[in-house]
Amino acid sequence: MHPRVLLKNRKSGRIATIDEYRQSGGYQALENAFVKNDPPPGDIRETLLEARLLGRGGAGFPIGKKMSTVPDNAPHPRYLVCNADEMEPGTFKDRVLIHADPHQLIEGIVLAARAIEAEIAVIFIRREYENAARILEREIQVALGAGLAGKNILGSGHDCELVVHRSAGRYICGEGTALTNALEGKRANPRRPPPYPTTSGLWQRPTEVQNVETLCCVPHVISNGAPWFRSLALTENGAGTKVFSVSGRVNHPGCFELPMGIRLSELIEEHAGGMVPGSRFKACMPGGASTRLMPGSMYHLRLDYSEMEKNGYRLGTGAIMVFDHKTCLVQAAANLMTFFVRESCGWCTPCREGLPYILDLLKRIEAGQGRAEYIEMIRKMCGHMKYSYCAFAPGAVAPVQALIEDFHAEVTDHIENQGCPFKNRQSGENDAESHY
Amino acid sequence: MMPNLIIDNKKIRVAKGTRVIDAAESAGIYIPRFCYFAELGAVGACRVCAVKFIDGPVEGIRMSCMVEAEDGMVVATDDAEAVDFRRHVIEWMMMNHPHDCPVCDEGGHCLLQDLTVAGGHGIRRFAGKKRTYADQYLGPLISHEENRCIQCYRCSRFYQEYCGYTDLGVMGIAQRIYFGRYKDGVLENPFSGNLIDLCPTGVYTDKPSRYTGRRWDFERTTGVCTTCGLGCSIMVSARYRQVVRLEAAFSRAVNGAFICDRGRYGFSWVNSENRPRQGRVAAKAMAPQKAAAAAAGRLDSLAEQYGAGAIAVAGSGRSSLETLAAWMDLCRRRSWRGFFFDDLAAAPAAPAAVSGLSPENVVSMKAVESADMILAVGADPLGEAPMLALAMRQAWRAGAKVFAIDSRDLEWPFEFQQVVAEPHEIVDLLSGIEPENEIGGNAGKHAGKMAAIQDQIRHSRFPVILCGTAIVDQSTALAAAGLVKRLRKNKKDTRLFYTLPKANTFGGLLLDHRVQPPDELIHAMESGEIKALVAVESDLWQNCTDRDLLERALNGLEFLCAADCMATELVSRADIVIPVSSVYEAGGIYVNQEARAQWSAPAHAGGTPVRITGAGGHPPRVIGSAIPGGDMPGAWQAAWQIAGLAPPAGPGEMLEWMTKTYPVTAPVKTMAAQGVRIFPLQ
Repeated sequence: MHPRVLLKNRKSGRIATIDEYRQSGGYQALENAFVKNDPPPGDIRETLLEARLLGRGGAGFPIGKKMSTVPDNAPHPRYLVCNADEMEPGTFKDRVLIHADPHQLIEGIVLAARAIEAEIAVIFIRREYENAARILEREIQVALGAGLAGKNILGSGHDCELVVHRSAGRYICGEGTALTNALEGKRANPRRPPPYPTTSGLWQRPTEVQNVETLCCVPHVISNGAPWFRSLALTENGAGTKVFSVSGRVNHPGCFELPMGIRLSELIEEHAGGMVPGSRFKACMPGGASTRLMPGSMYHLRLDYSEMEKNGYRLGTGAIMVFDHKTCLVQAAANLMTFFVRESCGWCTPCREGLPYILDLLKRIEAGQGRAEYIEMIRKMCGHMKYSYCAFAPGAVAPVQALIEDFHAEVTDHIENQGCPFKNRQSGENDAESHY
Repeated sequence: MMPNLIIDNKKIRVAKGTRVIDAAESAGIYIPRFCYFAELGAVGACRVCAVKFIDGPVEGIRMSCMVEAEDGMVVATDDAEAVDFRRHVIEWMMMNHPHDCPVCDEGGHCLLQDLTVAGGHGIRRFAGKKRTYADQYLGPLISHEENRCIQCYRCSRFYQEYCGYTDLGVMGIAQRIYFGRYKDGVLENPFSGNLIDLCPTGVYTDKPSRYTGRRWDFERTTGVCTTCGLGCSIMVSARYRQVVRLEAAFSRAVNGAFICDRGRYGFSWVNSENRPRQGRVAAKAMAPQKAAAAAAGRLDSLAEQYGAGAIAVAGSGRSSLETLAAWMDLCRRRSWRGFFFDDLAAAPAAPAAVSGLSPENVVSMKAVESADMILAVGADPLGEAPMLALAMRQAWRAGAKVFAIDSRDLEWPFEFQQVVAEPHEIVDLLSGIEPENEIGGNAGKHAGKMAAIQDQIRHSRFPVILCGTAIVDQSTALAAAGLVKRLRKNKKDTRLFYTLPKANTFGGLLLDHRVQPPDELIHAMESGEIKALVAVESDLWQNCTDRDLLERALNGLEFLCAADCMATELVSRADIVIPVSSVYEAGGIYVNQEARAQWSAPAHAGGTPVRITGAGGHPPRVIGSAIPGGDMPGAWQAAWQIAGLAPPAGPGEMLEWMTKTYPVTAPVKTMAAQGVRIFPLQ
């Protein structure tokens, strides 16, 4: 059995209390950091860097590296934003983490804030996570009562105010700079660096945006040290554990905390209960909807940022959506694209207009109206998405790019036979124009 | 350090901070753009300015608006991948744009149309439906056709960021994005007409001139706006001997790329049905020359009867410099009395404003945008000179602190701190500001706020003092100049900016700084001292607050002659009317409040407008060699006609005459496109 770190206090039907969290070693790192200044902020950053803790929100950027870009002489107040706007389709790990052990997140936030000497921490939470938001609000009061957050933490003279902010609710709000705009009350359009948020973010102040899971790792890294954290992984370059959100055609979909670098096959077969009876693995989304489809040839790939990148994939949020051999991937891609078309912020042309164009072509192919030249049109437009304003559009087309490259035959089958080979469809059932 | 870079094999050297898109344009290479507009900055939304960076600090395909030129850059605008991407961007935009260019009212002067054709997107491949929107009523001046929108965000950025108004903006997300108001209604922004110029396609179009002609049907000329004293550059469009619409013309020194709505739409008088177009003696219509000759006869006999001093000429700051010079000189030669300053409110302060400016302390409106501290005394830019308020807002956006000393309830589209003080208090407050010592003078209850102003001035790099002339008197105008002088002496680059009421108030005072206030004229008429009045483009009636008194004064006259292009009250009361051509027909030089003389070129030939009735007749109805109604003189020519002399043969000769007769005007002979500054001779 693999060791559990983040979800070790997970209980059925209720959260872990502050006492339970303390009994498992919780708030020890915070006490040391604030009361004994051990480690001091600089060492916290250093340890996080050494631990190779990578941002779990999708981009996989080292937290220690990001923190080090906050200049020493940067003005105050500084902000730490906990990104709990979990909207990547297929991803539900942050919700599970908050519901399982809220104080783990609170400690992680306060410690991360300490590392960059931020006085204000905002938890930007998805509006659909109302229960999680209430849990956090309640448990923050508990932490405040225990002197573990707020003014003068444990008498150290340092502050960390905690604010729970419910998002107005858009996928793009999960993008760090758009989130910053949203918090300022502006339209949630991404901002283009420079300046980077760590020098000029919220209200032009240094702002560190980190994902829930990343922040949950922080207390454990500080308590047990970087070598321990790295040793949790099964790969040479990996570090820590990863909470995978598994969904799709498996027997036991759910959230599984497993070592970084576990093989996809082991995840599916040992932990998610294997494929449902009568289904064979065909492909999966390895890291949410904005990552490349992984075909069967990658079934034994190790799920780890660098291993996957070597093979042209992204671990993203670690949301594994499993498709079986009976699933039409053209339809799946169109389904995902419908989401992205709806969620584009509308700022730049390729994303706002180009994605609906691609969706229209996919729907036509799926509906049996496809033409041979559509594949080349899709390929070109998908390729051009890398010139859009932010990372949204390139991510949105990643599954489509995989579709036309790795599942080319399936697409041409649709076109040549003027229909979806997976369905025996009645005409007019799926009108390509009726989606938006 | 000025970066050197190569764009399309051309070596280009540009100022530091120049964007690659502008660097290319400076070398004659036009890179397509929709969202980019220099005044509004670069935001990288439309993605159509993509170019390939081949070598240097940046590599790959980037948006040329988002990258500043740097040494060693090698850029290709014609890279195949970049061209293909730009073609796709246009195709994406055209997915939802109507395909009605041939019958669209924007067709022919539409940036989207130009770039679609230039980009090679001719065949529609997208087979889906077009997204459609409901249009909104935005008031009587601007039409809204949202279906044409390509979401460049220029309008919302201009409206909200540049101007500071919030009733128009962007709503929704993704493909449902909508630019407009929350609900139908008249736009609140007094600069909203610029949306028409800014929109790269036809979402916002000029409502009054809709369907009056294609862009290429119009006679188009750059001119000077005569609505207030700022002298903004305008583009005049005329057709069928009528002005069709005004647009902003770019002026680096004065107004940049925008104008206010008052200037844009304030020309209806020139097309008025009631505008005098025929000479009139008593009730009888006749040729303008004949009317002028009749007036000359009456004036001669009245001068003989009562003496030359019984004859007066009333002019105004809306006349061109040529007109003012011609009539002032006529008064001088005939010993008639001249009253060329007809704004009662500004009469005390305006001469001090003109004498207070110098080549050292003057500042252009565009340069006000780079001020880091602005103190406005007795000035309400939004009401008196709207574009100035917009310039102040840009300074404020860049971090400038703005202060006002005024008694009025001011509402400006930016944050400012006001010292609420009566006009007579301002002098004391201004003279109390010291560059070095503690706040002095008689600040009284305002001491705290005045100390803050003084402190801000001290910590500023480029402060500008604005002074109005409408509610304050001479001493305030002088005190503002005094403050600027004190600060400049203390090595602080302080600038002075006055507002003046009329397009040529400054010009009139240049020619003659001795203001004869209009109330003096009215009293002299009422007392019977003055028996005859020639009103040359005079706004005496509009400006007069005591109409009863003026009525009595006018009734006491033996003879009233009006030479005007506007249907004023004096024209309707005049015994003899000499119609004159307007600035759009005759042109003219106007000197704005910062001493800048600018030439407003004539846009079209004067004459009776051609009316297409649709009744079957084809203009012209009367075949002849001359333009019907084209015999109206320029207002300056009328001065010679009244004197019974032949005027200078043309504008060139007129300029010769004027610079000889009034040496102060000599710089206009070397006037460049941006105009030339003329200060009073010392």
